[in-house]
Amino acid sequence: MNAPDVATTSAPPRQGQAGSSPAVELVGVTKRFDDVIAVDNVNLRINDGEFFSLLGPSGCGKTTTLRMIAGLEFPTHGSIRIHDEQMSLRPPNKRPVNTVFQSYALFPHMSVRDNIAFGLQMKKVDRHTIGSRVTEAVQLVRLGGMEHRRPKQLSGGQQQRVALARALVNHPQVLLLDEPLGALDLKLRKAMQLELKELQERVGITFVYVTHDQEEALTMSDRIGVMDDGRLLQVGTPEEIYERPATRMVADFIGETNFLPIVVTELDRARIEGGQEIIIGGDGTPGTKTTLTIRPEKMRITAPREPVPEGDNQLLGTLHRRVYLGNALALEVTAGAVRLRVRQGSAAQVHRFRDGDEVAVLWSPADAAVLED
Amino acid sequence: MSLREGAQPGGTTRWALSANAWLVFGFFYLPIVLLVALSFNDNRMVGVWGGASLRWYREMLGNASVIASLQNSLVVAGISTVLSTVLGTATAIALERFRFRGRAAFDGLVYLPVIIPDVTMAVMMLLFFARAFAMVYEATGTTLHLGITTITLSHIAFNISFVAIVVRARLAGLDPALEEAAADLYADRRKTFRHVTLPLIMPGILGGALLALTLSLDDVVITSFVAGPGSTTLPVYVFGLVRRGVTPLINAVSTVMLAASMLLVLFSLLVQRRSQ
Repeated sequence: MNAPDVATTSAPPRQGQAGSSPAVELVGVTKRFDDVIAVDNVNLRINDGEFFSLLGPSGCGKTTTLRMIAGLEFPTHGSIRIHDEQMSLRPPNKRPVNTVFQSYALFPHMSVRDNIAFGLQMKKVDRHTIGSRVTEAVQLVRLGGMEHRRPKQLSGGQQQRVALARALVNHPQVLLLDEPLGALDLKLRKAMQLELKELQERVGITFVYVTHDQEEALTMSDRIGVMDDGRLLQVGTPEEIYERPATRMVADFIGETNFLPIVVTELDRARIEGGQEIIIGGDGTPGTKTTLTIRPEKMRITAPREPVPEGDNQLLGTLHRRVYLGNALALEVTAGAVRLRVRQGSAAQVHRFRDGDEVAVLWSPADAAVLED
Repeated sequence: MSLREGAQPGGTTRWALSANAWLVFGFFYLPIVLLVALSFNDNRMVGVWGGASLRWYREMLGNASVIASLQNSLVVAGISTVLSTVLGTATAIALERFRFRGRAAFDGLVYLPVIIPDVTMAVMMLLFFARAFAMVYEATGTTLHLGITTITLSHIAFNISFVAIVVRARLAGLDPALEEAAADLYADRRKTFRHVTLPLIMPGILGGALLALTLSLDDVVITSFVAGPGSTTLPVYVFGLVRRGVTPLINAVSTVMLAASMLLVLFSLLVQRRSQ
């Protein structure tokens, strides 16, 4: 593989294509700061042209991972490859990636135009090409007319666009984004999420996006890697991460969920601790104590004597509390030792129940996931 | 309405506050006004007004000693400012951006000249030069003398610390992501420094340089210790004149020095405003 060195050429970005080498490949990457392990043996392949998010709570190692791909930190162990080229100890200025920093890090003493042109100037691209590429980038992020302003004279959203343009103008093989929407207010954030996703599809560059906002990750990503405590817990599409979380942390971090402590009795049977037997969706190992997770909106509430559809689970309990949410109704049901949170979209169905009523909670085994830990 | 009045100080407090302000202004500016006014006094007697004239300014310009010491002052201040600014900036960058063996010790010691009393510093420098000269004589047979070079070296020695403090404050306030962004945009260390770090800390460097210039132009104690015969700076010369009794010439020289200092400050404010 002789991947072109983008640091010396101005080749257009590669489009995502089947069979091409992974855009980014991390093998056994570990980063240690003194005695703190920030990133612990991470293995990851990010496909070409993919919008990949690293998701996790603050301090989970996602930013350190991104900084190692950028070359702003070097791994203690392991290797980092970009399009099959070894990067591990290469300085940031020699890597075919560009970064959008959380604080934007726009050069305050330069105009918008000079900020955007900086990378091309450092690469010694000829003046004419710089001119046309900067103009193109300015149009891409819709900042026409702002070229001669200083960063301080721009709003947060505009600064964010300058940071994007300053990185994209170099046609990087991979664009790294470190919580780029963190400083924006909610409304602008939502708008920028869609815009970023659209932009990524248009330019076809691999995006590696770091965020602690699960909704943001679910909305924008092709795939998500969930990190906690330096480890990469699960990698998958938003659907996989949400519907079939592998660990308790993943299930808990992404959205609201219920945890039921279970003991697997057969391949597709388990007993809720201190309670009744239920059907589980998959390939349990009999005898293991584990946890079943099920999303509140995947469960239904009915009267105890109503018929149960074939193959569904039913737990009997007492309606504990109802909270009206406008577009939904949140309910708490106590069933034996467990308390279940249930969310019902159509309020009419459950309006007839009062606090303290005996109710049945139903769910399909396919909608619940057995956790690995 | 009553709420607003409540936020204002009451009658007595108000009176005391304004009296205090006038007192402070009086302490600050009356001596200056007096000095400037008397520098235009056409009378040999300092305390007696003899009409306005530029007599002492003419006399000052005609006085070879004043002009010679002024030249010395400018040469010493110019050279020591340039060198201490370069060295002080390098010190600030080393302490703020790099980790090296002995950094903590260096960090503490670099501020020593700021704390050490002027007289101590002066004695130290004098001893140092005496010792160094003796060694040079033993080694090469050359006899060195105190003079403008030793004054300049001493000024560099104490000014490095001041420049380092000012520049370092500016560096510390700089988002480290800016330098990372430059590196991410293909700039190597040298280019990052030239295109990003240096322009951004320039106000700090200029501020430090102006401070060094002022301190060098003002210094009496250290300079008078390490100055040799015939190598006096202007403040040291003025100090010498005063000991022989105050003449209106001193008023004129002092007024010129005051005006120069104010111009420097004004200039530094302009530079800082432009860089914002």
